[in-house]
Amino acid sequence: MDILVLVKQVPDTEAIIRAQSDTELDIENKYSLNFFDEFAVEEALRIKEKLGSGKVAVITLGSKKAVDALRRGIAMGADEAFQIEDPALEEIDGYATAKTLAKFIESQGYDVILCGKQAIDDDSGAVGPALAQFLGIPYLTSIVELKIAADKKEARAAREIEGGTEIITCPLPALFTAQKGLNEPRIPQVAGVMKAMKAQIQKFDLKALGLSPEDIRPKTKILKFYPPGKRPPVKMIEEEFPKNVEVLVKILREQEKAI
Amino acid sequence: MAGIWIFVEQRDGAIRKVSMELLSGGKELASTLGEDMAAVLLGYQVGPMAEKLAKCADRVYVIDDPLFQYYSADSYGESLANMVHTYDPSVLLGGSTFMGRDLFPWLASRLATGYAADCTDITIGDDKGIIAKRPMYGGKVLADVVFPQARPQMATVRSNVFPLKSLEEAARGEIIHIEPKEDSSTIRTKVERAEKKATGKVDLTEADIVVAAGRGIKGPENFHIIEELAEVLNATVGTTRAVVDNQWRDHNDQIGKSGKIISPKLYMAFGISGAIHHTMGIDTSKVIVAVDKKPNALIFDYADYGIVGDLFQIVPALTAEFKKALSE
Amino acid sequence: MEKIDVVIVGGGLAGLSCAYNLAGEELTVLVLERGDFSGSKNVTGGRIYLGPIRRFMPNLWEEAPFERHVTKEALTLMAENSSTTFQLSSQRMNQRPYPSYTILRSTFDRWFADKVMEKGVCVIPEKRVDGLIMDDGRVAGVVTGEEEIAAEVVVAADGVLSFLAEKAGLRKPFEPQHFAVGFKEVIQLSREKIEDRFGLRGDEGMAYLFIGSLTKGMMGGGFLYTNLESISLGMVIGIDAINKMEPREEVYRLLDEFKESPEIKKLIEGGSLSEYSAHMITEGGMDVMPKLYSNGILIVGDAAGFGLNMLITVRGMEYAIASGVMAAEAIKKAKIKGDFSARSLAYYEDLLRNSFLLKELDTFRHTLSILKNPRWFNHYPQAICDLYEKLMWIDENPKPKLSSTAYRDLRKNILNLQGIKDILSLRRI
Ligand SMILES: Cc1cc2nc3c(=O)[nH]c(=O)nc-3n(C[C@H](O)[C@H](O)[C@H](O)COP(=O)(O)OP(=O)(O)OC[C@H]3O[C@@H](n4cnc5c(N)ncnc54)[C@H](O)[C@@H]3O)c2cc1C
Ligand SMILES: Cc1cc2nc3c(=O)[nH]c(=O)nc-3n(C[C@H](O)[C@H](O)[C@H](O)COP(=O)(O)OP(=O)(O)OC[C@H]3O[C@@H](n4cnc5c(N)ncnc54)[C@H](O)[C@@H]3O)c2cc1C
Ligand SMILES: Nc1ncnc2c1ncn2[C@@H]1O[C@H](COP(=O)(O)O)[C@@H](O)[C@H]1O
Repeated sequence: MDILVLVKQVPDTEAIIRAQSDTELDIENKYSLNFFDEFAVEEALRIKEKLGSGKVAVITLGSKKAVDALRRGIAMGADEAFQIEDPALEEIDGYATAKTLAKFIESQGYDVILCGKQAIDDDSGAVGPALAQFLGIPYLTSIVELKIAADKKEARAAREIEGGTEIITCPLPALFTAQKGLNEPRIPQVAGVMKAMKAQIQKFDLKALGLSPEDIRPKTKILKFYPPGKRPPVKMIEEEFPKNVEVLVKILREQEKAI
Repeated sequence: MAGIWIFVEQRDGAIRKVSMELLSGGKELASTLGEDMAAVLLGYQVGPMAEKLAKCADRVYVIDDPLFQYYSADSYGESLANMVHTYDPSVLLGGSTFMGRDLFPWLASRLATGYAADCTDITIGDDKGIIAKRPMYGGKVLADVVFPQARPQMATVRSNVFPLKSLEEAARGEIIHIEPKEDSSTIRTKVERAEKKATGKVDLTEADIVVAAGRGIKGPENFHIIEELAEVLNATVGTTRAVVDNQWRDHNDQIGKSGKIISPKLYMAFGISGAIHHTMGIDTSKVIVAVDKKPNALIFDYADYGIVGDLFQIVPALTAEFKKALSE
Repeated sequence: MEKIDVVIVGGGLAGLSCAYNLAGEELTVLVLERGDFSGSKNVTGGRIYLGPIRRFMPNLWEEAPFERHVTKEALTLMAENSSTTFQLSSQRMNQRPYPSYTILRSTFDRWFADKVMEKGVCVIPEKRVDGLIMDDGRVAGVVTGEEEIAAEVVVAADGVLSFLAEKAGLRKPFEPQHFAVGFKEVIQLSREKIEDRFGLRGDEGMAYLFIGSLTKGMMGGGFLYTNLESISLGMVIGIDAINKMEPREEVYRLLDEFKESPEIKKLIEGGSLSEYSAHMITEGGMDVMPKLYSNGILIVGDAAGFGLNMLITVRGMEYAIASGVMAAEAIKKAKIKGDFSARSLAYYEDLLRNSFLLKELDTFRHTLSILKNPRWFNHYPQAICDLYEKLMWIDENPKPKLSSTAYRDLRKNILNLQGIKDILSLRRI
C-alpha cells in the first residue's frame, strides 16, 4: 500500500504575527510542522506498520522552510520526501496549491492520501477537498478514526460532525484529512532525526510538472491584512462574594443584554 | 443570471440557525447589489422546509431525494456544480459548519473559482464584488479576501456573524425542484451510521451561550455544577484540551485551536487559565466572562468581565442568581 | 545507531555555545533538549553582559536577536509607604560596542539553535535524557526514552538542577540553601509606551532593580527589564528564606503585590501578560561547585553551579556561554589525543581557572552569606526612605536643622553598632 502525506511547515502557535502593511505580515521566526499534519503522518506510518508493507512518502509545496516539514516526516519514519518549489508558487491560494499538488500526485502511485484538517497559517482547510476533486477521488474530512479493509480496497472512517459522529465507508484510493483525536503522533527518535538530516529530498519545479504560471493563477486575493479589534480592558468585579455574583448577573442582563 | 445563493443546511427536519442568519445577511447584501437572493436546499423529505424558505428568499432551489438523506460531496457537490452551471449565481455562501467546510472547497475547485473559509464578515466592495473578512493564524491577524474574476464568489461564514432577522413575508419565492443526476452508484462515500450525542443541545459552534470549565473543575464528577448552570441559561457546555486529555469530557466539547472555534453571544469560562490555544477559539465571542482563582490568570486578558474566586463557590451561586433573575 | 563523538544534554546557552564551537570540526555532535524547542523552558531575568564573552563568538553577536541595549540603570529601595530611587543614565553605555543587552530567551535560544543547526549540528528538541550509560566507571553515553546513544563524551548542560551531574556522581543532591527561585512575567507593551514611560529612545533599554519591603524581609529582590515591545518583570527569593517565612504565604502572590505597588503599576499599565514562568537559580557559588569533569563527561553552565547572585542582579548567562566554549576547546583537544578520560578533560578546568569565570566566582565567594542578613531587605531600605522623607518634610512646625535630623536618624537606625558591623561585612564582597 502506498501512502502519500501532505505536510506543511507553518509558523507555530507561539509565533508573534502582525500585519506590517496591507499586504505584508511580520512573522516571528518560529516554525513547525503543521499541528494537524502530524496526525496525518502518524496515521500513514501506523497503516504501513499494521499491513507490514508499503511505502510512505511526504510531499510539500513551498520553499526553504518547507524542507523542515519533510525532515520531520522522515524523522518520524516516512520513506521518501518530495518538495515542489518554484518562485511562481510563492503567493498562491488553496486552489492553486491543490492544483499543483494534483499535477504532481497524478504521476505517483497511491492508495491513500492523508493531509491535515487545516493548515494553521491560512486556517482554510481547503487543500484536501480541492485536491481530491482534481484527482477525482473520494475524500473524507476531519476524521478521528481510520481502518483499511483487509482487501485494501475500502476504508472505514469516523468523523466528528456537529453533535455526533458519523461512520463512513469509501473505496480506495481516497483522501482523508486528519483531525486531532485520530492518533497520538510519535516523537521522532534520535536515530530518525539523524537520518532525516542526511535524507535525499527530491525536488520538482513548475516546469518539471508541465505547468505554467498561467495554470496556477490564484482565484482569491488578499486585499489587506489588519490586526483583530482589541477587546476593551477587562472589568474586574471586585465586590465580595456573594455580591459579585449579583453584580455580574445584573451587568449581563441589563447592560450587555446577553441573557 | 446573477444573484446571491445561500446554501441552506438542515438536519432532522430543522433548518440550521446559521443558515437562517445567512438568509438574513444575504438579503441585505442582495439589496445592496440590487440582485436576488436564492436559497438552495438539498435533502430528503424537505418539503415543509422549502415552504418556509419560500417566505424568506426570492427563489428556492430544492432537491428532495432519498439519495440526499446523508451529505456527501458526490451527491451534494455534483448537483450544486450543475445548478451553478445552469443558473450562474455571483455569490454562494454557506455556514462554517462541518458540512460547509467539507463541501465548499471541493465545489470551488470543481467550479474553478475562489473560496474563503470561516469568515467573520461579508461586505460589498466598490467594484460590487464581495469582501470576505476572515481570521488567519489562529486569529492573530484578519484578512480581507476578494475574488478578482472567478465566479461565484464562495465563502463559509461563522455563526452569529449576521443577526437573525424575521424574514417571513420578506418574499414570496418560487420553489424550483431539481432532479438529481446522481444514482446510488455515483455516490462513493456511504454513511454507515451516525451516532448522536445524547444531550440534544445545540452544538458549541452554534450556541448563543457557552459555559465552559477547565482543569480548575478538578474532576469529571464536578461537571454537574456547570451542566446545571447551562440548563438554566439554555447554554452548551464546553471545555479545554487539558480536560479532554484527562478524559473528563469528550473531544466534541473542546474549544480552541485543536477543538472548535466558537462565537457565541456570551462565553463564560470557569477555571480556565487562558492559554493561547484555547483563546484562539473564543476570539469572536461577543461577551466573555472569566472566573478563576488566580488573579494573574491569562484568561482575564481576554475577558470583558472577570471575577477572582473559587468556581465551586461562584458557579452554584450564579446558577441560583440567574434562576431567580429569569423567573422574575 | 553509530557512536557519536559528543552528546550535549540541554539546549540552553551553555549547551548551544558548546555545540556552536564544536561545529565544523571533524566531530559528530548532537544536542538533546527536553523542551519543545530551545528557549521554551529557559528563564532569565533579562540582561546579558557581552564584555566577557564577545571574543568567543564574534560573528554571532552581530546578528543576534537582542532586545534593547541597556543605557539606564535604576535601583529602588522600597519601604512600607515610600521608596527611594537611584538612577544612572550613562553616555558610555550608549556607545558601540554596547556592554549589555536585555534578552528574551524563548526568542534568543531558538534563534541560536537555528544557527547551530545551520552549522550542521543536530539540535533535537522534545528529547529528555533520563539516564547515563556507564561503562567501567566511565560515562559512555545517554539514555533517552527507549534509545541508548553511545558517545565518546557527554556534556551536561542540563541547567540548574542538573540530573546528569548528580547521576555521574559529580555533585551532591539538591540542598535548598544553595538555590533561589525566580518568578517572571513578560508583559506586552507597545514600543511607544515603553520609550515614553522609561524615557528611552530607539533601542535604548533600562535595567531596573528593587529591594526592600517587596520581599517581606526575605533575601531577594525584584527586577524589571525593558525589551523591544515588552517588559520582563519578576522577583528572585532565596529558597531558604521562603522555607523560614512566617506566616507562610504563596510566594507568587508577592509578585502580584509587587505589580500592584504604585512604583510598578503605572509602568505596566495597559500591558497584557504573555508569559509566566518560575525557575530555580543557583546561588551556591564556589563553595558548592561540583567536580567539573570525569571520565567521559563535562559539566557546563548552571549545571556546574556557575551563577552569581549579587544582591539583586543575577548573573549566569555569560558563565553558561563561556563554560560551553571552554568545554568545546577541551573536547577538541581530547579528540586530537583520542583520549576522553578525566585526565585529558582536566584541561577544561585549567581553562576555567585562567578565565574571568572562576576568578569572579572566587572574588564573590562570600557574597551570599553576607546577603543572607535580612536587615538588607527590611531595615535599611525602610531607614533610608524614612530619613529622606524626614529631610524633605515641611509642616506647621519650624523645621529643625537638617544636619541634626540626619545625624540623629543615622545614629539611631544605621550607624549603630549593628549597622557598622553590617557595613563592615560588605568589605568581604
Ligand atoms: C498545539 C496545541 C494545541 C492545543 N489546542 C488546544 C485547544 O484546542 N483547546 C484548549 O483548550 N487547549 C489547547 N491546548 C492546550 C493549552 O495550551 C492549555 O494547556 C489548556 O488550554 C489548559 O487547560 P486549562 O485552562 O483547563 O488548564 P490549566 O491551564 O491547568 O488551568 C486551570 C485553571 O483553573 C484555575 N483553578 C483551579 N482551581 C480553581 C477553582 N477552584 N476555582 C477557580 N479557578 C480554579 C487555575 O487557577 C488555572 O488558571 C493546545 C496545546 C497545544 C500545544
Ligand atoms: C528569574 C531569573 C533571572 C535571571 N536573571 C539573569 C540575568 O539577568 N542575567 C544573567 O546573566 N543570568 C540570569 N539568570 C541566570 C541564567 O538564566 C542562567 O544562568 C542561564 O540560563 C544558564 O544557562 P544554562 O544553559 O546553563 O541553563 P538553562 O538555560 O537552564 O538550560 C538548560 C537546558 O537543559 C534542558 N534540560 C534539562 N534537563 C534535561 C534533560 N534531562 N534532558 C534534556 N534536556 C534537559 C532544559 O530544558 C534547558 O533548556 C537568571 C535566572 C533566573 C531564573
Ligand atoms: N503548501 C502545502 N504543501 C503541502 N501540503 C499542504 C500545503 N498547503 C496545505 N497542505 C495540506 O493541506 C492541509 C490543509 O491546508 P489548508 O487548506 O491550507 O488549510 C494541510 O494540513 C496540509 O496537509
